[in-house]
Amino acid sequence: MSATGTNGIAEEALPGEGPPGNSATVTASTRRRPNPRLDQFKRTWYFFRRNTLAMVGLGILVFFVAAFVYGLVFQGPTTQLNLYCATDGAPSQSTCPAGNISVCTYPQGTTSPGANCYQTPVIDGIPYNNFIPPTMTTTTLGPLPFGALIQSGQVGTPYFYNLYAGLVKGTDWSLSISVAIVLTGAISGLLIGVIAGFYGGVVDEVLMRLTDIFLSVPQILLVIVVILAGQEIGITGFDNRILLMVGAFIATWWPTYARIVRGQVLVVREQKYVEAARASGASGGRIVRKHVMPNSVYPVFVQMSLDVGTVPLLIAAIVYIGFPIFPNVLWPEWGSIAAESTLTLPDILQECAILGSGSACPFPWWQLLFPGMALFLFAISVNFVADGLRDALDPRLRR
Amino acid sequence: MRLWIYIVRRLILLVPIIIGVMTITFALISAIPTQQRIESYYAPCRGHCYQPWEQYIPCPTNASATCTNPLWTKAIDQLGLNYPVPVQWAIYMENALTFHWGYTNNFSTVVSNYPVLRGEAVTTVLGWFLPYTLELAALSLIIIMVISLPLGNLSAVYRNRPVDQVSRIMSFSGYALPAFLLGTLLLYATIIVVGGPSQVSPICKGHFAALNDFWGSWPPVGCSNLYGTTNLGLDGYPTWLGGGFISSPTGFPTIDAALHGQWALAGDTLLRLVLPALVIAYGSIALLLRFVRNSMLEVMNLDFVRTARAKGLSEKVVTRRHAGRNSLNVTITVLGLTFAFFIGGFPIIESVFNLWGVGRLLAFSLEGSFDYGLIFGSTLLFTFLVVGANIIVDVLYAYLDPRVRLG
Repeated sequence: MSATGTNGIAEEALPGEGPPGNSATVTASTRRRPNPRLDQFKRTWYFFRRNTLAMVGLGILVFFVAAFVYGLVFQGPTTQLNLYCATDGAPSQSTCPAGNISVCTYPQGTTSPGANCYQTPVIDGIPYNNFIPPTMTTTTLGPLPFGALIQSGQVGTPYFYNLYAGLVKGTDWSLSISVAIVLTGAISGLLIGVIAGFYGGVVDEVLMRLTDIFLSVPQILLVIVVILAGQEIGITGFDNRILLMVGAFIATWWPTYARIVRGQVLVVREQKYVEAARASGASGGRIVRKHVMPNSVYPVFVQMSLDVGTVPLLIAAIVYIGFPIFPNVLWPEWGSIAAESTLTLPDILQECAILGSGSACPFPWWQLLFPGMALFLFAISVNFVADGLRDALDPRLRR
Repeated sequence: MRLWIYIVRRLILLVPIIIGVMTITFALISAIPTQQRIESYYAPCRGHCYQPWEQYIPCPTNASATCTNPLWTKAIDQLGLNYPVPVQWAIYMENALTFHWGYTNNFSTVVSNYPVLRGEAVTTVLGWFLPYTLELAALSLIIIMVISLPLGNLSAVYRNRPVDQVSRIMSFSGYALPAFLLGTLLLYATIIVVGGPSQVSPICKGHFAALNDFWGSWPPVGCSNLYGTTNLGLDGYPTWLGGGFISSPTGFPTIDAALHGQWALAGDTLLRLVLPALVIAYGSIALLLRFVRNSMLEVMNLDFVRTARAKGLSEKVVTRRHAGRNSLNVTITVLGLTFAFFIGGFPIIESVFNLWGVGRLLAFSLEGSFDYGLIFGSTLLFTFLVVGANIIVDVLYAYLDPRVRLG
């Protein structure tokens, strides 16, 4: 690896490291003003490019960005994202949430109360109402290319929707929420870390104790409790709750960055160039902006790219333990889709076992595979990219 | 001697953290309506109510002055809700620090599902469930260390070789794979290997709900198993645990079973912990593995390692005794972080594998109508666990590295 690296440098004449202004080879037209930022970027990109895993990760990320753009123009719930709401007896649109298509269920042995109705089994005298076997959703309930997701959140009104449409829409939700949380968390953490590290003393003590406090509360629990408290003081409605959730995540996210940046600043502020800047009369603010901040920001990039993949996983975890982030609302987000589909699996399998129709009731593998793949591929691709970034940005690790 | 001074200093630093954490929980719990706060703070009656007014506290939030229910006024008084916020804060702090964390809510879904919990103090209930979580945590920590320490060292020594790449991919995939998905897949894989969901499992033959119960902490009620039929208690805890598992001497299921001479049960309990512990370890290994590798890489470039090589010591001795020992310092610090990371995942793992730990209790108290006492109680408990783990890690670090305690 290192051998090819040195060869590559020799062959490709790494930008920014060649002898400047060699008049024999560089003509006046190609000569340019040196731009250290651009050169740094090119050098990083050069080392990043040589890392196969990182490039694979970048490729997957590009795919997700494309899916994000597609999700923006993708037709929403009205056409493809079909929400079905099942009630007992005759279908009644009035009891269904807005935008849902009403279907109905009726017990085995009785006559169908109308159109769009599905028979449910009676086993040992117990009618299994409100249950529609997954095969019916795939065969009869409209175009469902990847099978249906069944949400069993509410007794009496299970929802069905198109998994493919949900995941495409989910790309928008997951990516924008992750980026919003991580970006805001990183910026606030960066500011706090720089202030704590650069000014030291009492400021450092206070800010770092604050960081310790927020790091001590387990992340998922803090998010849950913040959402609970927000709900109780009357933050309701879909948009408000999204904001609340994002805020709760940010509250748990900044301490990591503050810690990283502070450690970095402590090293940077002792460097000779900071001393030189101070000697030449630069103000504290200028030193922070021009010298300390740019030199301590790289680990933040790495941590950010790591964290972006974690947000959907955390949302999935919160939904999985049964906390209703959005009660009675079907939220097409990767994490919540994955959690819901995993949660409904035992019910479906048990119903299938009761029905005793092994062939007619296949294992709903699509429910696990596709949301899981979305979560997994996104998280692992940002991990690869983060690892490549770390190696490319840290001269000690790249060699 | 200096270590003691360090420990004392570290404990003093703990005070603002504890105060801060509890101020956060106080701010959050203040948002809960008075009615729910009182219900979760005060137990009307335990198990059986003797007076009609004991069953609930039926006073509206804003009419406490005219309320005739003695429990309402008593609860208001005990919570300090008539006083200004700083006094409420002080009362909350006192209650939290003296482990008066309130009672389970009579009207919450978890209590109506599991009447054993009715009217119990939150700390008591947490005490029932905590040992199981601790056993799981200990087992996961052991697995994490057994895997990540040698693998991290190996991937540093054979850097960018196949071992390193395998460990890299392993740690990344562990980080990226949702624990509940992996757990569910493993659960189904096990069931498929053992038999169909409605078929037979070696521990619980012919029980229909084997799907959920196979890896549960204890066999389900009425389920025939290796050691006879269980028939009592909270979802099938053995009778000798006395329904509320009160008669268990230590509270740790494996140890209790062993103390009762039920070796099959002890082994079975331990066996049920292995799979969840593996899932937890797989998810948490990423962090530690990368840190071990990087710190090892840094140490291997230092002068004393070069000296050791120059002396003609074998590569094995150099990597194990010289580099390995010294890279351990960073590892221990990261271990604290890892603990904080994976303890947040316990509610999920315990729900997937049907284990009766604190995380499962939290998941239950979030069902239906919430049990605020249990929710905030387990939040406090988890926080204390993390803080305690960090203290232990810091002290270990200081013990291993004299620079920390002397500097």
